[in-house]
Amino acid sequence: MKTITIDPITRLEGHGKISIFLNDAGDVENAYLQIPELRGFERFAQGRRAEDMPQITSRICGVCPVAHHFASTKALDAAFHVDPPSAAKKLRELLYCGYIIYDHILHFYFLGGPDFVVGPDAPAAKRNILGVLEKVGLDVGKDVIKHRAYGQKITAILGGKATHPVCGLPGGVSKGLSKDEVIEIKDMIVSCVGFAQFTLKVFDDVVLSNKKYMELICSDGYSLKTYNMGLVDKHNKMNFYDGKIRVTDPDGGEFALFDGKEYTEYIGEHVEDWTYMKYPYLKKIGWHGLHDGKNSGIYRVGPLGRLNASDGLATPLAEKEYKRMVETFGGKPIHSTLAFHWARLIELLYATERAKELIEDPKITSTHIRNDVGAPSEGVGVVEAARGTLIHHYTVDSHGLIKKANLVVATTNNAGAITMSVRDAAKAVIKGGKVDEGILNHVEMAFRAYDPCFGCATHTLPGGMPMVVNIYDSKKQLYRRFSRGVDE
Amino acid sequence: MKTKPRVAVFDFADCEGCELEIADLEEEILELIDIVDIVSFREVMKEHSDTYDIAIVEGSIMRPMDEARLRNIRSKAKILVAMGACATMGGINKIRNQWMPDDVMTAVYGDADLEGNPLFDVFKTKAINEVVPVNYYIHGCPIDRDEFKHVITSIALGKKPEIPRYPVCVECKKNENICQFELGAFCLGPITRAGCKAICPTHNSVCEGCRGLIKKAETDCVKDLLERYKLSYEDIRRRCTMYNFGREECGVDE
Ligand code: SF4
Ligand code: SF4
Ligand code: SF4
Repeated sequence: MKTITIDPITRLEGHGKISIFLNDAGDVENAYLQIPELRGFERFAQGRRAEDMPQITSRICGVCPVAHHFASTKALDAAFHVDPPSAAKKLRELLYCGYIIYDHILHFYFLGGPDFVVGPDAPAAKRNILGVLEKVGLDVGKDVIKHRAYGQKITAILGGKATHPVCGLPGGVSKGLSKDEVIEIKDMIVSCVGFAQFTLKVFDDVVLSNKKYMELICSDGYSLKTYNMGLVDKHNKMNFYDGKIRVTDPDGGEFALFDGKEYTEYIGEHVEDWTYMKYPYLKKIGWHGLHDGKNSGIYRVGPLGRLNASDGLATPLAEKEYKRMVETFGGKPIHSTLAFHWARLIELLYATERAKELIEDPKITSTHIRNDVGAPSEGVGVVEAARGTLIHHYTVDSHGLIKKANLVVATTNNAGAITMSVRDAAKAVIKGGKVDEGILNHVEMAFRAYDPCFGCATHTLPGGMPMVVNIYDSKKQLYRRFSRGVDE
Repeated sequence: MKTKPRVAVFDFADCEGCELEIADLEEEILELIDIVDIVSFREVMKEHSDTYDIAIVEGSIMRPMDEARLRNIRSKAKILVAMGACATMGGINKIRNQWMPDDVMTAVYGDADLEGNPLFDVFKTKAINEVVPVNYYIHGCPIDRDEFKHVITSIALGKKPEIPRYPVCVECKKNENICQFELGAFCLGPITRAGCKAICPTHNSVCEGCRGLIKKAETDCVKDLLERYKLSYEDIRRRCTMYNFGREECGVDE
């Protein structure tokens, strides 16, 4: 048996790679994804001051530090039995919108979008931001940079540092907003709303009006009928920062609606004995291997997962776009993996509109931004990271020190689905033991839709993600190796 | 005209936040490109070259295979710059050094048989200067973009970069903040290297010491403050376990 290993470079503890197993005939038998285990962090959380957690966990990832910062802060709210004042919640959510704005823009223009805007068959050298600009014009490039910077600026004003915020505290935030800052932020947001609409139009012109792309998007090879998961508000509308976790089944019906603190009742982790990788699944359905369908507990998170798991969006422009997307696919749920890209842009529009509502709320400048904490015990915090549901769970002792920490990260939630998408893509290109560099592109496209965050997505700003593909023969001897973007 | 120095950027175990800070320099990156040639930077470009003058290294060293890679980089570079707390002092990654590597492995991977797999050959986290000599440091978690530009520009022009040797308190006072000690919190500002414009206390949070410790003598200028709150360099030093875990003294050797 041959093993192909795609290793998108070492990161935290040195993994996040894809192994593809061939059968004797040389066809793909199975594919597995291993992603960075974060329990190194869970281990070193032990014994640390609970209040340090929002800073420490944000260093898990420089791409989505804001998500970790707030999942952590919310877990502390719960652990210290304190409900933050409404202005604090608004400030946190506004900061959160800033993060979604810069992150979703990054993904569409730099990471995942090029596959479409430039075209999946374009040479790798063109499938990057520069290729995108060639297609949509240089002025757009300036706008991309400007609005991404706006998102970061908003997070920096509210969070202290743009990359790693320092504002989240149990019971509230450390600093409020001044009137001047409100004006500054508002101007940026108004511009962002327009830019989000423009970006959806680009998607319309370049992707939706191209028959070939639409065929590809709707093709079976890129479709998975899984459960979907995401946070929703009281009206079952999608929410990034707060709410209950809702799960819908592959036919679109509600399967579960629960509080974050109940997550262990609903989410199980399956361990394969040949790997240290864990696959989350819905406990009530059970683990039945890497299959889609109603009888498999595998679910999807992230932009498409969220839109499938909710009844739409709470802001008018985004809701309109959402309805159009559902209509295009002939109803919900949408199973096309490549629809993640479209869903992401609709969410971008939502984030800008929501940010506008928040900054226009006169109460956002309230100085009551922190409530007193109670005696600590246990708490769970859940947010929707750009890439999906993110859960932090801490047990805190009476001295305010962490006794136990458990994190379920967005990309882990998608592990089963990403693995299947990769397997299906690999099956299409590897036949009779013939492997060539083309495999990199196809496999990449399948998992790039999820924007998986194990260093690979972040490593690819302008082009191909750095990868090593190792092919071993049945005696586990290396017999071929492809690599790109790797400095060895 | 002199040829431009060739710059390569490398990363080890970390969150890549510092590299993203450079990637997000946006138009200012053009000014940099005027004075240096970026020949390798995985985060933003696909091209790669093994010939470079200046190596900028981000991240901590966690495994023997990282150590070998770092030595190789050092042997090719005339100047090596450690960038970000992970690289300059081990940063957040060093927290795990309070446990034995085996212990961490078991906690993370359970009983999985990883014998002989070099990807999982974990040892104690090291800062860059614990493995190879470092010429310059760019502090912070993440780094400050202006300071990054300053350091790289200085090196390219053959000048010594100016990095503050005084404590964060100096910048904090300039910003007219209420001292965190006044508010009952514990701040590492008095013994932490300035240069970040005191962003954390200015945001009403404490300084966590991400830019590393300064020498005791350099804290003379905050004598008043230390006296007022009955603190000593050593008292505060004992609380430095987020970024400066296990450091004997200064965050860097100067
Ligand atoms: S120093 Fe901080 S921001 Fe930079 S790579 Fe390390 S953890 Fe990330
Ligand atoms: S101790 Fe902290 S808050 Fe006080 S002056 Fe120094 S840096 Fe500022
Ligand atoms: S105030 Fe302290 S923790 Fe904050 S950025 Fe400056 S040195 Fe780092």
